[in-house]
Amino acid sequence: MMRPPIILLKDGTENKQGKGQIISNINACQVVADSIRTTLGPRGLDKLIVDSKGATTISNDGATILKLLDIVFPAASTMVDIARSQDAEVGDGTTSVVVLAAEILKQMKPFIEDGVHPQLLIRAIGKACEKTLKNLADLEIKINGETELREMLVKCAATTLSSKLVSQERLFFANMIVDAVNTLDAHLPLNMIGIKKVNGGNLHESRLIKGVAFQKAFSYAGFEMQPKKYSNVKVALLNIELELKAEKENAEMRLTNVSDFQAVVDAEWNILYDKLQKIHDSGANVVLSKLPIGDVATQWFADRDMFCAGRIPQDDLDRLMSACGGSVLTTVSQIDDSVLGKCGKFYEQQVGSERYNFFEDCSKAQACTLLLRGGAEQFIAETERSLHDAIMIVRRAKKNDSIVAGGGAIEMELSRLIREHSKGIEGKDQAFWMAYGQAFEIIPRQLCQNAGLDALDVLNKLRHRHAQGEKWAGIDIHREAVGDNLVACVWEPSIVKRNAITAATEAACLVLSIDQTVKNVRTPSGGAMPGLPGQ
Amino acid sequence: MAQSSAQLLFDESGQPFIVMREQENQKRITGVEAVKSHILAARAVANTLRTSLGPRGLDKMLVSPDGDVTITNDGATIMEKMDVQHHVAKLMVELSKSQDHEIGDGTTGVVVLAGALLEEAEKLIDRGIHPIKIADGFDLACKKALETLDSISDKFPVENRERLVETAQTSLGSKIVNRSLRQFAEIAVDAVLSVADIESKDVNFEMIKMEGKVGGRLEDTILVKGIVIDKTMSHPQMPKELKNAKVAILTCPFEPPKPKTKHKLDITSTEDFKALRDYERETFETMIRQVKESGATLAICQWGFDDEANHLLQANDLPAVRWVGGPEIELLAIATNARIVPRFSELSKEKLGTAGLVREITFGAAKDRMLSIEQCPNNKAVTIFVRGGNKMIIDEAKRALHDALCVIRNLVRDSRIVYGGGSAELAAAIQVAKEADRIDGIEQYAFRAFADALESIPMALAENSGLAPIDALSDLKAKQIETGKSSLGIDAVFAGTNDMKEQKVIETLLSKREQISLATQVVRMILKIDDVRVPDDERMGY
Repeated sequence: MMRPPIILLKDGTENKQGKGQIISNINACQVVADSIRTTLGPRGLDKLIVDSKGATTISNDGATILKLLDIVFPAASTMVDIARSQDAEVGDGTTSVVVLAAEILKQMKPFIEDGVHPQLLIRAIGKACEKTLKNLADLEIKINGETELREMLVKCAATTLSSKLVSQERLFFANMIVDAVNTLDAHLPLNMIGIKKVNGGNLHESRLIKGVAFQKAFSYAGFEMQPKKYSNVKVALLNIELELKAEKENAEMRLTNVSDFQAVVDAEWNILYDKLQKIHDSGANVVLSKLPIGDVATQWFADRDMFCAGRIPQDDLDRLMSACGGSVLTTVSQIDDSVLGKCGKFYEQQVGSERYNFFEDCSKAQACTLLLRGGAEQFIAETERSLHDAIMIVRRAKKNDSIVAGGGAIEMELSRLIREHSKGIEGKDQAFWMAYGQAFEIIPRQLCQNAGLDALDVLNKLRHRHAQGEKWAGIDIHREAVGDNLVACVWEPSIVKRNAITAATEAACLVLSIDQTVKNVRTPSGGAMPGLPGQ
Repeated sequence: MAQSSAQLLFDESGQPFIVMREQENQKRITGVEAVKSHILAARAVANTLRTSLGPRGLDKMLVSPDGDVTITNDGATIMEKMDVQHHVAKLMVELSKSQDHEIGDGTTGVVVLAGALLEEAEKLIDRGIHPIKIADGFDLACKKALETLDSISDKFPVENRERLVETAQTSLGSKIVNRSLRQFAEIAVDAVLSVADIESKDVNFEMIKMEGKVGGRLEDTILVKGIVIDKTMSHPQMPKELKNAKVAILTCPFEPPKPKTKHKLDITSTEDFKALRDYERETFETMIRQVKESGATLAICQWGFDDEANHLLQANDLPAVRWVGGPEIELLAIATNARIVPRFSELSKEKLGTAGLVREITFGAAKDRMLSIEQCPNNKAVTIFVRGGNKMIIDEAKRALHDALCVIRNLVRDSRIVYGGGSAELAAAIQVAKEADRIDGIEQYAFRAFADALESIPMALAENSGLAPIDALSDLKAKQIETGKSSLGIDAVFAGTNDMKEQKVIETLLSKREQISLATQVVRMILKIDDVRVPDDERMGY
């Protein structure tokens, strides 16, 4: 007798389960980690990715690469997620978090194959993680004092930058970034650091402007007649279109009399002139608007020796507002001295092939602008990403003033502590703890591999040194030897490590706890192609 | 290990699993292979430009998809028009572009240098040196080279016009205009000097306008201290020449003003219609009266006016020009000290500009006419008027002039110079090579390679000039080391001496520094890539 088959899921749905599923998930995570592991460390190399539209990105930043890879495998996308969360939370260490998570999974794989229940593993590594974080807290070094703090920030920024394209200039940029972050107020808002990129020039010509700078906006005839230099500037920030135009979009007038005609024309002009006059009366000498400033207004201002620029991007306007004070006005009826921003110096200058407007010596000085110079467009784009990482690090480090030594030193020490601790544990857990500890060694190992060093040899030396109590022994890539990285000033904020360990462990637990995947058939977009095979 | 990861993967049960979207459609190259294929691509680009370096460099002819022909030996232009597809070759294009933006000259040299650096890097990679080590070594060597350049640089007397002209001649020497070298050099120098703000060391290029017209010879090119616009008087009977003109610059049309708001005029009777006509006529007359009353003898209008207005203007003896573009209006306003007037009612005596001479220039037999406004009170705006046999020559002459203008501008900004003809590169190469012996570690190799790469510039110069490159170079190198004179370079024009100081072949320090540091930067970037993912459907030539 034939039993009718029970159809539970739609035809074509992928349904995988069991041990095989976990293993294949782990493999997928491994693949993702493989694609970025060579970017780790000062000798890490970059990846060039061309997307389907032909746009080229060259990057060394784990989060950026993973975003561009467009990963669709469900479990592997957790890797992308942790890289992103690391990026959002601390901004750096995105590569190491993925590499670490993949390594934990790799260490757990033999246990799964041997039939250990995943939940046991999850519980063990969860506990091991807690212990590691506690160890980390014991190890980290607090930094006190104003000058020490600054020094610490510069060193942390330099360590981050050492793996990037700009590594040769890392001290130059590290100082610049620390200065930039120091100009901000207590909340350290990221968007108050503007980054402007101008092709051409030397990296050394990059500079920090304590104030705001932006590219000259599109201008109408008459602009060149305006003065380009003021001191003691009063800036009017507007969100008004200063153009001769219809006041209401869809208004229509019916005129019955010819004389009305002139009256209407005059009225329109007067509306505009009234606005301009009010701005002039307020004493402002620089007028900036988010919306266009038309030719009539441009010429009117030129007549009165005022400077104006329209179509200024919102973020530049915001920065200017927090640097110079004042507020963005949507009407000029209330304009007076109190709503104008003030700054010491305004000038226009040629930067590369662009003309830039600079506002300096601002009254509040809570915003700054980094003007980056460099050869190719991709070069500056990557520089910007690198600086972004460094800025994030400095911001975090400023709030959490404790550091650890990088270059694999902290990972080796944590690994040693966990493995030592595991010896005192009864039962199966001992092996799991052991494996978890082992996983941390991936960071120094990868650093060696990327630098072309003999990983086995170096790791042995490191283990030996750590066993003898040199807790900050790490890899000195530049000398290709083992050394004390605390002395060598390879410093990282401990928050980066803490977040990386937590995120990597959680991701590993997540992947281990999945034993079934149900993947729905992708509905063809718009239903236009129903019978498309292989979707 | 890395090679396999972009291929299809199989899980334990033998099913393929896809990690990345459309990964089967992606091409991936990793490791040394990637670096090498990039070097190959970049060098291919550099080789195309190599032959257009120097005064005896040859031009390239580029035909665009819609049949436009460009003939040039300007590196940046060639790169731009080549429409390069390969992603790494694109970096080289960017390289020459950024040299163009920043300096404006030396766009060929920078690409050739980058190509040479990569060629040397390839050899080192073959020896098994880590790419980053090479890049680090290059960076150090670059610093040393820049130091050398600083130390051999000379102060340049910017006030001395004669010397500036000589410098411009170097830049123009390799271009199509070298037939009338001196003349073009003078034009470029005078143009920059008249707009330059010596105090703040700033030159605003928007004040220099370049106009071209086919016909005549290159020698007929002139610098007009004033503005030339490609327009004529609106009415054929208007005077062709005005002396001591008072110029009114208007941005409003000669027609009854219209409200911007959507409007409709309802006419219900004949009287109304008549009133409307009268109104129109009246406005025309008021406008002309207003212009006349202000004392203007020439009206320049951004917009047009119809034949009726044209007739009225002619009848009232008021010459006018219509449809003058925005940027020209602006230049005119600056040159004549006029204020731009947006409404007739605002016209007044103070807002008028003055020009000593306004005339129509006619060319040859053709009816081509242009309007030139000269002897303006403010000399800050000038026009270079280029003539030439055909459009291609004019375009190329314009590009050449632009390069020369940039050179002069750079001198105004930073007055230090080095000598050309590959002498500066050679001097730097010698110093870098010397320094190499003092370095311990693998960077030593990179140092030597950097020195070799620097020598490729004089080498290419010699090659392009028909000299035996290796003979010429080794000879020169020996001489430089022997005499310690850093101004010895390749005698590309066979002037009989190798001393570039005597030949007066001068380049700005700024440009040389920029070339070397930009090339090093890009090389570092290319060396640092070890993994490439490209969509496979774009047939890229690996």
